[in-house]
Amino acid sequence: MFLSFLMLLSPIVGLSQSDSCNYSVRGTVLDVKTKKPIPYVNVVVRGANRGTVTDINGAYVIEGLCSKVNTVDVSGFGYSDSSSTSNTSQGETQNIYLEQKALKLKTVNVTGKLEKKKGTETISQIQMGQAELSIDPTRTLASAISEQQGVSFTSMGSNVQLPVIHGLYGNRVLVLNNGMKHGFQNWGTDHAPEVDIASASRITILKGAAGVRFGPEALGGAVIVESDPLNLRNPFNAQVGAGYQTNGRGYNSSLKLGQGFKKWSYFVNGSFTKIGDRETPDYVLTNSGKEENTFGAGLRFYSGNWDAKVYYSYVNQNLALLRSSIAHSGTALTQAINSEEPVIIRPFSYDIAEPNQLVQHHFAKAEVSWKNDKVGKLTMRAGRQINGRQEFDVRRNSELPIIDLELSTTDYQLDWKHKPWMGLDGLIGVQYFYQDNNNNPGTGTTPFIPNYNTDRYSAFLIESKTFGKNIIEAGVRMDFEINSVRGREVNQSIFRDEYDFANITTTVGYVRELSEKSSFRTNIGTAWRTPNMAELFSFGQHGFKTQFGLLRYYFNEEGEVRTDRVVPIAESEIEPEVGYKFINELEHKSGRNRHTLTAYSHYIENFIFNRPYAVISTIRGPMPVFIYDQADALFIGFDYSWNRSWTESISGTLGISYLWSTNMSKNEPLINQPPISADYRLTWNQGEFWWFTASKFTVKPRYTFQQFNAPREVPPEDLIDGTEIITNDSEIFDFKAAPDGYFLLDLTWQFELNRLSGSLSVNNLLNARYRDYLNEMRYFANEPGRNIMLNLRYRIGANQKGS
Amino acid sequence: MNTFFKLRNYALIALMASSVVLTSCGDDDDDDVPEPVNEVEVITDVKLIFTNSNDASDVVEARAQDPDGQGVQELAILDTINLDTSKTYILTYEIFNNLETPGEDIGAEILAEDDEHQIFFSFTDGAFSSPTGNGNFDNAADPINYNDLDDNNIEVGLNTTWTTPSTMTANGSFRARLQHQPGVKTATSTVNTGDTDFDLEFVINIQ
Repeated sequence: MFLSFLMLLSPIVGLSQSDSCNYSVRGTVLDVKTKKPIPYVNVVVRGANRGTVTDINGAYVIEGLCSKVNTVDVSGFGYSDSSSTSNTSQGETQNIYLEQKALKLKTVNVTGKLEKKKGTETISQIQMGQAELSIDPTRTLASAISEQQGVSFTSMGSNVQLPVIHGLYGNRVLVLNNGMKHGFQNWGTDHAPEVDIASASRITILKGAAGVRFGPEALGGAVIVESDPLNLRNPFNAQVGAGYQTNGRGYNSSLKLGQGFKKWSYFVNGSFTKIGDRETPDYVLTNSGKEENTFGAGLRFYSGNWDAKVYYSYVNQNLALLRSSIAHSGTALTQAINSEEPVIIRPFSYDIAEPNQLVQHHFAKAEVSWKNDKVGKLTMRAGRQINGRQEFDVRRNSELPIIDLELSTTDYQLDWKHKPWMGLDGLIGVQYFYQDNNNNPGTGTTPFIPNYNTDRYSAFLIESKTFGKNIIEAGVRMDFEINSVRGREVNQSIFRDEYDFANITTTVGYVRELSEKSSFRTNIGTAWRTPNMAELFSFGQHGFKTQFGLLRYYFNEEGEVRTDRVVPIAESEIEPEVGYKFINELEHKSGRNRHTLTAYSHYIENFIFNRPYAVISTIRGPMPVFIYDQADALFIGFDYSWNRSWTESISGTLGISYLWSTNMSKNEPLINQPPISADYRLTWNQGEFWWFTASKFTVKPRYTFQQFNAPREVPPEDLIDGTEIITNDSEIFDFKAAPDGYFLLDLTWQFELNRLSGSLSVNNLLNARYRDYLNEMRYFANEPGRNIMLNLRYRIGANQKGS
Repeated sequence: MNTFFKLRNYALIALMASSVVLTSCGDDDDDDVPEPVNEVEVITDVKLIFTNSNDASDVVEARAQDPDGQGVQELAILDTINLDTSKTYILTYEIFNNLETPGEDIGAEILAEDDEHQIFFSFTDGAFSSPTGNGNFDNAADPINYNDLDDNNIEVGLNTTWTTPSTMTANGSFRARLQHQPGVKTATSTVNTGDTDFDLEFVINIQ
């Protein structure tokens, strides 16, 4: 095993000038063993969003820093990351000798140097960088983050996947794209956030209620996607990527380039992905391909106290849904569910036919911040998103979209990070959020979702106080939301509703250093959420369900359910969801071991869920009907991880996620909750290997248990023939029992050969046949089988990686 | 601070302001309502029309109605099929969505896409002298007197012929099911292929 030592020589010069942002850091990065300079390694000033890459002599300089004390993070491929803190006011030359370490690729968990967002310091969180994201750049955001403990995804096939944090998904998990709430059709399980992970530089997953900082709806947590940080003084760098995968015969390509000058910087990126029908070990999943094009660009101007950034991104997707998942009648549903194999299997094809979704998402954002020693930092953000979505269904008029919506989202945020005051560090902000949803004509069907406008005014305050290594953090937020809704009933008469909600969100947290080896963090957060439009207004058939929103059904004097009018919200008993999440994390490091235990309990009042209600006779024959309902729910669980360095180069991480949940109002299980899972990730970081400049092997066996806490099984035929009679008081049920537990084995080899880097990975190496409880396609088909993926990236110019 | 720096700051303020203006353009609080649509998917009314092949004025009709379409209100079978013995009838349909005014003729759409549709039948064994048997639910190859073919020469069923025997049937069953079979309709496709557009069971009396 070749060992190499890295030494960072950082003679740091303080320039005491009147302009407060005239500090700088400079130095040289050297290899301890060879004493040779190391070119092209990233040097980033922590918290300042400033960075550079060492030149051919290993030298770097970062000027224009506003702080006297700077911590510099150094990361270079093939070297261990390291950081060094220097106080430039002393003007001393400091030699910092770094700990001897094996030559390594970046480790997967970068928790050691988390850069936490204000207002989330006491919340358990995980970050993922580009190195992990690039192993499979074609997967969905939800799939990428689901490797983390406590995170999973719920899906509608391979293309539509939504993140699940501690059992909650949809608009209980806030997806923040580049600082803005991602404005998309966030309802049901068949609408996933249109976020391109190939262009993300970092993803942070917050596992607690993060609503104070980011807005309502973050009951379960938040997923924060950040694009290129637009570092200044960054030499021209470009990266060309290409990849192929065997399952679905998919290919992808991407291009990124960027450059940072003294006063400004830019980046441009784009990608293309095409995947055909996925295959299970035994059959083709007919109509399961996808096509995706993305483009992104950013520009930054920096000038003393001012810093301005402009971003634009575009995602265009054509996503296929499994052909065999469509059933418009009870008999067809029964047949599809009971069939061993999907009812329609055709030879492999790249073609995407109905059912499918066409989505275009435009995102534009401008951000300006102003820093002043006396005041602190003021940041103004303005964002605009336009989301166009067309969904096509198998039907007589299949050439017409059955859903055709345009949603525009406007965001203004102004926040003030005030300078420390009486020992308090804080952030104060005001926000205005506006959404306008419109149905485009030409669907030939009554709109499933009405037209609506939402206006939300918010203000928040977060303060923290540090005592030694302990931190107390508290925050409060007020939101006032006004909704105006216009829709059509099936007879085309118009219905309207207007309603508003005002709510307060709070958070209190504490981080305590128990000893040199142990730390403890705890957080209690409240959050709330207005029922979404599908939960309130959905009416009729969508996918294989006939469903009625909370305002679309009522009980008449005889206690029979009726759907012939829309109930005004003022007449109904509908309340917003309010959640209380208590999350604790204990971390213990000793020698080669690191244990992290995250335990939580989450109580949600007026939890909204979809449940089977009855079988009604229709022209199409008997149909199972679903309604939205509200009840109080409780979620209790833990995530545990144990990391151990077995040798200098071999380390392993054991992860276990456990969740138990219940409907407290009816004392029965909830549907579609993540089962218990356990995995072990064994990593062999070889450093130089063969002719590769760096090489790392990862083996990941994982076992997902059956969901033991699932609703009882009532097959649709039992409802249709009257064997099972469902009433309003019946216990919750599912059409199919939760699938058996399953074992999967994944392998990954990451390598670098000078400017060429890449990965060769195999998912589901054993070609296991299984169904996933959180995939709605589990009623109809198995999950895809073995998939071998090769992804290559070639660097032009200097090294540029996420840090 | 020199003039250059001031100018620079003004430029940044202008940039900030313009971003606000840019994003404000679409912010007019509209009050638009989705446009009314011709609902092409929903079927509320199906009428079976048996016409005596020798006497166009001898018509027997049987109606089924689901007045709220996708709503939870139950389907109602309004009529009994009362046919005479030893006669030949042509069976045709009126298929409408009457949530619209005027009603939308779904039958015309089915005819336009007849290569994706087929009607199957099930009835009391021996109720007819032709077709014999109990219909083609259990076995798609069983006899039914289809009078119409689609572009691929496969039966459709919007027009069928039924001959009653001299024997009477009381309280029998007559079931018609329209299957929508986009891309999967073949000469051998069955009552379980594709999805159901209507599935109606009537009481039949032959007297």
